[in-house]
This record gives sequence, structure tokens and C-alpha cells, in this order.
Amino acid sequence: MLLDVRDLHVEFRTRDGVAKAVNGVTYSVDAGETLAVLGESGSGKSVTAQAIMGILDIPPGRITGGEILFQGRDLLQLKEDERRKVRGAEMAMIFQDALSSLNPVLSVGDQLGEMFIVHRGMSRKDARAKAVELMDRVRIPAAKERVGQYPHQFSGGMRQRIMIAMALALEPALIIADEPTTALDVTVQAQVMDLLAELQQEYHMGLILITHDLGVVADVADRIAVMYAGRIVETAPVHDIYKAPAHPYTRGLLDSIPRLDQKGQELYAIKGLPPNLMAIPPGCAFHPRCPRAQDICRTDEPPLFRVEGPGEDGERRSACHFWRETLRDA
Amino acid sequence: MPEQAEPILEVRGLVKHFPLTRGIVFKKKIGAVKAVDGVDFDLGSGETLGIVGESGCGKSTVAKLLMNLERPTEGVIRYKGEDITRLSGRALKAVRRNIQMVFQDPYTSLNPRMTVGDIIGEPYEIHPEAAPKGDRRRRVQELLDVVGLNPEYINRYPHQFSGGQRQRIGIARGLALRPEIIVADEPVSALDVSVQAQVVNLLDRLQSEFHLSYVFIAHDLSIVRHISDRVGVMYLGRIVETGTDEQIYEHPTHPYTQALLSAAPVPDPDAREQRERILLAGDVPSPANPPSGCRFRTRCWKAQRRCEVEVPLLAVPESFADGPRAHPSACHFAEERHVVPDGA
Amino acid sequence: MDLAMSEAETLEKAPGGPPLGTGPGKPRSLWSDAWYQLRRNPIFLVSGLLILFLVVISLWPGLIATGNPLECHLAKAQEGSQPGHPFGYDSQGCDVYTRTVYGARASITVGVCATLGAALLGSLLGGLAGFFGGWWDALLSRVADIFFGIPVILGGLVLLSVVTSSTVWPVVGFIVLLGWPQISRIARGSVITAKQNDYVQAARALGAGNGRMLLRHVAPNAVAPVIVVATIALGTYIALEATLSFLGVGLRPPTVSWGIDIANAAQSIRNAPHMLLWPAGALSITVLAFIMLGDAVRDALDPKLR
Repeated sequence: MLLDVRDLHVEFRTRDGVAKAVNGVTYSVDAGETLAVLGESGSGKSVTAQAIMGILDIPPGRITGGEILFQGRDLLQLKEDERRKVRGAEMAMIFQDALSSLNPVLSVGDQLGEMFIVHRGMSRKDARAKAVELMDRVRIPAAKERVGQYPHQFSGGMRQRIMIAMALALEPALIIADEPTTALDVTVQAQVMDLLAELQQEYHMGLILITHDLGVVADVADRIAVMYAGRIVETAPVHDIYKAPAHPYTRGLLDSIPRLDQKGQELYAIKGLPPNLMAIPPGCAFHPRCPRAQDICRTDEPPLFRVEGPGEDGERRSACHFWRETLRDA
Repeated sequence: MPEQAEPILEVRGLVKHFPLTRGIVFKKKIGAVKAVDGVDFDLGSGETLGIVGESGCGKSTVAKLLMNLERPTEGVIRYKGEDITRLSGRALKAVRRNIQMVFQDPYTSLNPRMTVGDIIGEPYEIHPEAAPKGDRRRRVQELLDVVGLNPEYINRYPHQFSGGQRQRIGIARGLALRPEIIVADEPVSALDVSVQAQVVNLLDRLQSEFHLSYVFIAHDLSIVRHISDRVGVMYLGRIVETGTDEQIYEHPTHPYTQALLSAAPVPDPDAREQRERILLAGDVPSPANPPSGCRFRTRCWKAQRRCEVEVPLLAVPESFADGPRAHPSACHFAEERHVVPDGA
Repeated sequence: MDLAMSEAETLEKAPGGPPLGTGPGKPRSLWSDAWYQLRRNPIFLVSGLLILFLVVISLWPGLIATGNPLECHLAKAQEGSQPGHPFGYDSQGCDVYTRTVYGARASITVGVCATLGAALLGSLLGGLAGFFGGWWDALLSRVADIFFGIPVILGGLVLLSVVTSSTVWPVVGFIVLLGWPQISRIARGSVITAKQNDYVQAARALGAGNGRMLLRHVAPNAVAPVIVVATIALGTYIALEATLSFLGVGLRPPTVSWGIDIANAAQSIRNAPHMLLWPAGALSITVLAFIMLGDAVRDALDPKLR
């Protein structure tokens, strides 16, 4: 296993109290695999990624438990300088907002080349050549001419390609992409997603795709982990989950999106609001919004049950006391 | 859909150019951003017209023009037969009672220093004739109830609400004067998936409740289809194709519409292999310097010499002038192509 | 408006968990949030108490100093600390303690009046320029640039040397004249930022006039940075008054001012350092208190900067 996150807990201390952002997240990614982490704002999907990358703001954040095993080593036990060597070289991150992630006063060539100068000790000239090569690889037209240009001279889609190039530069084993196409237009989104999927195959990298968009997930993911209130509520191979979700929250999400191929009637809407992370409901965090909730859901926090049933290879789990019933009704 | 009735809103030849200037005190005009460049459409009473397009296509500028927040460079917007683009003062204020707006960003569209009651009640302060003073508080509470919020929240401030709840407050403000038309500019794109459905349902319900006509502007094709009776697809300041939701989604004829539909992510992993995707090359050109002829030609796989010199008009293509599928498309080589996979 | 609502829609009313960052059901305005922040900030408490003390003694110096600052005994010139006169005497034989206490009045008066003047003038001009834009904005910005170009000390030496009045008003006027451009720039910028919010567009779409948009929507959301800058400026204006008085063009005797006392003490700094220590110390603490207050107010009003 390339990356194995086990029972991770992260809290934020704020003026109003302690916000429990991640409450026992467990997931894993293999080389060459794409795991989509799906969740709404406040679900803890990005915080988990930041903890893996080691870029969590501490304080106010605090990792209060769990381990992050990357190629067998627990990253949380590493010293900061060892951690820094992992970052960029062995795992890299792509952010939503490419414009603010790139330094506006350095040319893209300098920023791409810097990776090789810092991590590989290359000369300035070799690094520049590498930068052009990378820009070619992410299909930026006229890379040789544009290598000296600055981020604002590129369009949104091109900037996101540069971010991808930067993440790929040192051929890391794992890439974490946090809403990589959310800020892009539909037609550009498709280009960038295709590019990312293709490069991932080529380099045989693990990819964690963090998103709220069920459409994007369906297009590229192998497996999905659905998060709610800082926990994984369901994880399964992508085809299984779309065909027959085993958690009422996943079910609700799938039912609440309008469809392209038909004019819908009233949309199904999950009632209520996402929980306050400072006062997560006891028992199953989803129970106040769940159409299936029973007494047990208000008192007992459901573990991640193993879901048995027809489906593809690969493990399927659901944190619902009534996963059998949910699956049956799907 | 009342197709025979006179439209409540008629837009003809709408143009908005924003001048590009240089210099601080002595400004020199060096060009113009052609944000909207010749847009026509009608809105029927009780109807929803969806306008889709990518960023920079001019859809938000259309919203501002409809709201009289910007003055058009050319063209007319007729509300019940009267051109509202040249109105000012009292006449403009009177028209505003009938056309209201719902904004995209629930965080910047509510004044953080005002209570919810003051925000929703402000329309009555601006138009005192709409509600007698003693009646306003009750009306505001009724509006809160209508949009699904607790009327006791009247003294709270916007930052005490979630995004979805704030959007409901914005909708309540838009409803206060009982308008006939609501222009909604990306009203749900800033919301979480599970909350989006709640707000879309609310808009649907309010439409039948108050007999509203919507101009619904969005980039999300699925939501536009869900809510619209008719759809217009915009590209670089122009409408390239327009028709009923079925005509646009099931029988698109403009290459841009086809590309847009085929690129939309579909929440079905099984469709991954079977669907045919049209990947467009490059980015949208700058509206300050749009391509000659057909504006889409620089990214179009069908483009020929003719597209460079001749601007295609938004008209029903000759190839299928009759029948239920016939609808206007601004392409010299308009041709139907099925791109939305079934079961998507 | 009797409506049957679908269950899913109404449920936001239900008592589920409130959204992140939402407190219990009480109304909480941004101003009350800021005040809550301030009250818990030790820097605010220290500087606030200090400033309160300074204001009180500048209004009623007799509360802690029984003597007369103008009653001097040349015979006791430059004498050190002694019972009843803890800070000793200055070169004229006046009681340093009494003069230091009375000196607060001039500093606070000049600081407060100059700040009020500069803030009112600056935010009015800058705010209108930011709101309406156009040629008025361009003109005002250039005029402000010209005032920025005037060297403060040189300008003070030239302009104030022709004044003969011994009141505080020429100094106040001079500081307002040089201080308003800074405030107007801040006000202009923050009005432009506030103006771009959708709620201003929403008000316009409802038919609101310029007056309502400016007073109801823009000004309340643009005033915070002006308050912060004005508070910090107050401290620097007090320092400027002392500097001008030190140079002999600010306040003049018989007005009691720390700047004048510092000027006198500087001449005999070797044999009687206590004469310098007390007024200079009082000045530094006062200036510091206002700058600290400004910082605390900034933290409370603009959480993003933290």
C-alpha cells in the first residue's frame, strides 16, 4: 500500500471552542490508483489532505491521533526536515486556485526550475530545460517561448496545467489534488481532468482527488471515500457506489443532483444543514438529517461495517447501522 | 408555457461595451471589451429562461443590464412593451418593483451590519407605498416563513447563518415587493450539493406560488435544464443557440452547445466509456478582441473559410425548418448531434 | 401566505446543529463581536485604561496636582526631587510634576481635535471620491498627492512661524491640513472595496438612491479602517505637536506643553536630566498608548489581519 491513513484525528482550537474537523479517518491509496474523497464544505476532506502533506496550520490545528503511513513510514513521527524531503519529491499537491498558488513575481520557468535546483541540485540552465520539457508534457503550446512568462499571462486552464507540471516535476509517488478543476470552466475542466488522469497512468502514481462534484468523481475515480463531519461514511469501488449506495448520505447526495438527460420533477433534498463541528451530534453524526434514523443511531456511533453483496472486486464499507436496508432499497 | 401570450420581457439587439482606457486624469479610449454584443430573447409570463455559458461569455452582464445596474451601449429591453433602458428617476424606481434579482454570492450580497429584518424590510423603506409602516414587521416575518426560515430569526445578523440560509434571505428580499420577474445570477453555484437542491426546490415552489418569471443564469447545465422551460447558450457575448430544454439538450445543433454538453461531468461511472466527448482546443478568446465572423471558429472543428468572414445569424437552420426539433442556432453548418448519454 | 412546505425545505428551522461558527440564538452584530474581542484583549485594556487616565487628568488636572504650573521660584531652579515635589524643579524653578500633569491637556487637546478634524475632512473627501469616482476622484487624488509632498517639519517651521496666537488652534489647523490626505486615501480605498459588494448592487436594484446606499450600506462597512488609522494617527499627532513646540513654532508659553518643557530641559540635559525625563516619558507613554489602542482596534475590527 502506498499510503495508509489510520484513525486520523485533527482539531482546531478557536475562540468559540474546539472544532473537531477530522474524527478518525481511515483510507488508503495504492500506486496507480485514483481515490476520490467526496464531501461538502466542512466535511474534513481538505484538512485530511493537509495533514497528509504536512501543511496543516499548527496552531490553530492539532493532530490528536492516528498515523499516516507512507511507503511504510509513519509521517507523523518524522522530523520536520525529513518531512520536507518527502514533500514535493515523494508527494505533491495541486490546489484549486492556481493563480494564488503561483508566485506572481517569478516566471513560470523559474518556479518550475526551482524544484530541480532545490531538490536535485541542477544548474540553472539544466533546470530551465527541464521546465520546458515539463510544460511540453502538460501540453502547454509554445512551451519554449512561454517559459519566461509570468503566471498572470496564462489563462486559468493553462495555469492549472502549470500547477500540474510543478506537482509532477520530481515524479512523486502520490499526488493530492484538492478541487483541481472547480475554478475552471466546463470545457477547460474536461481538458485538465483528462490530462491529469493520463499522466497518472503514465507515471503510475497514486492520486487522491478531493472534490464535491459527483460528476468529476464518476469520470475518473477508481474508488470513492465519502466524508461527513470528519469521518468516512462510505467507501467503495466507484461503480458500486453509483449503482447502489450503502449509506443514506451518499444516497441523498446522488439523488439531489439534477440530471442532464431529463427534466426532473422536484429534486430530492437532504433535509437540514451540515453539522456544527463544535457540536457534532452524538451517535451517527448524520442522524438528524437521515430518513432512516432509529434510536440506535442517536446513541451508538456506527463503525465502518464491511458491506457484503454483489459488486466488483475490492472492499466496500459503510458506517450505517442500516446498510443492509439502504443497499436493498437502492 | 404561454407561448401565444405577449412576452413580459423583450430584449432586442442588446449590446454592452466597456471602454478600455489609459491615463488617469485625461482618459484615452484604446478599445472596448465587448461583453454583450447583440443579444435577443423573450421571456414569457410565468416562464423560466435559462442562460448558460462559461465565464466571460457575458451572461452576468446581461443580468446587470436587465436589472438596469448598467446602461446598455445599444438595444432595448421592453418590460410589458415599454423600453426600460432609458428610464430614470421615479419611472425607473417604479419598474424596479417588478424586476428583482437573486445574487450568486450569499456572503457578499447581504449587508453584514444589518439585521435580517432590516435587510428584508429595506425594500419597504425604499418603496413606502408597498406596505404601511405598521405592517412591515409582520410582512418580513411572513417572507422568512415563505422561504423556509424561522420568523424568530428576524433580529439576527447574516454571519449567523449558513450559505444556504443566507441565500434564502436574499430570495426573501427579492420577493418583498412582489415582483413579476426575478433575475437569478448563479443563485446556487456557491452552495453545497445537498443545500443546492433545497434552494432549487424553493425557487421552483415560489415560481408557481407567486407566478414569477425567471431569468436563470448559470454555468451548470444540469441545473439549468432542471429549472428552465427554454434555454439560451451564450458564447463571447452572443446567444449561439436557443430552444426548449429538450431541443437544446436532446437535439443540439451548434458545435459549441455540443461540446459544452459533452464535456459536462456526468454522475455515472458507466457512462465513462460509452460517451462521446468533444474536447475543445484552447481557451475562450478575449472579448476585447473577438474573432471575426463566427466567434467560436477558433475552437471549432467544423470551421471553414466562410466562418471567418460571415457572421452566422441566430436562425432556424434550413436543414430542418419544420418539426418539433426546429430551433434557432447561429452556425453555418448546424447539424444535430446527440451528445448527452442516456441514463446520464 | 399560507403555505404547505415540503418537509425538506422547512427543516432548516428544526433544532439540528447550527452551522459552523454560529452561536446560540442571540443576535450578534459585527460591532458587538468586535467589542467582545476588544474586552478580552489585554493590550486594549492596558492602553485603554492609560488613555482614560490621561483624558481625565487633562480635563481635571487638579485631581492629582494641587500646585500651579505657572507658579515658579527661580531660586529653586533645577533642584532635584524633594518632599511634595517628587519630580524636582525645572530651569525656571517651576514644579516638574505639576507641569507634566498639566502638559497632558495640551497634548490630548491637540491630538483629539486634530484627529477629529483630519478624520472628518479626510473621510468626507475620500469617501465621496471613492463612491462617485470620475473627475472629482482624480482631482482629489492629485491634491492629496501635493499635500503628501509637503515636508512636515519644514512646512510647520514656515507656516506656523508667522502665527502669533498662543492658543492650540493654529497647531491643530496645521496638523489637519497635513493629516487629511492620509485618512482620505484610506477612506477612498475602503469605500471602493465596500461599494463593490453585491449588497450595494442589491440596494440599487431595489431603487435606493445614492444617499441611502452611501449612508446605509457603504459607510458602515467602510468605516473600520478609518477608525484604526485615525487612532494610530492620534498618537503620531501628539508627537508632532511636541516636535513643533520643541522647535518653537507649536504651542507657546504660557501654554503648558511637554514639547516646550522638553525644549527647555534639553539645554541643561547634563546637569539636570530629571527635567527631561518626566515630560519625555509622559509623551512617549501617551503616544505608545494610542498606537497600541489602534493595533488592538485593528485586531478586533479586521480578524483577517491576524
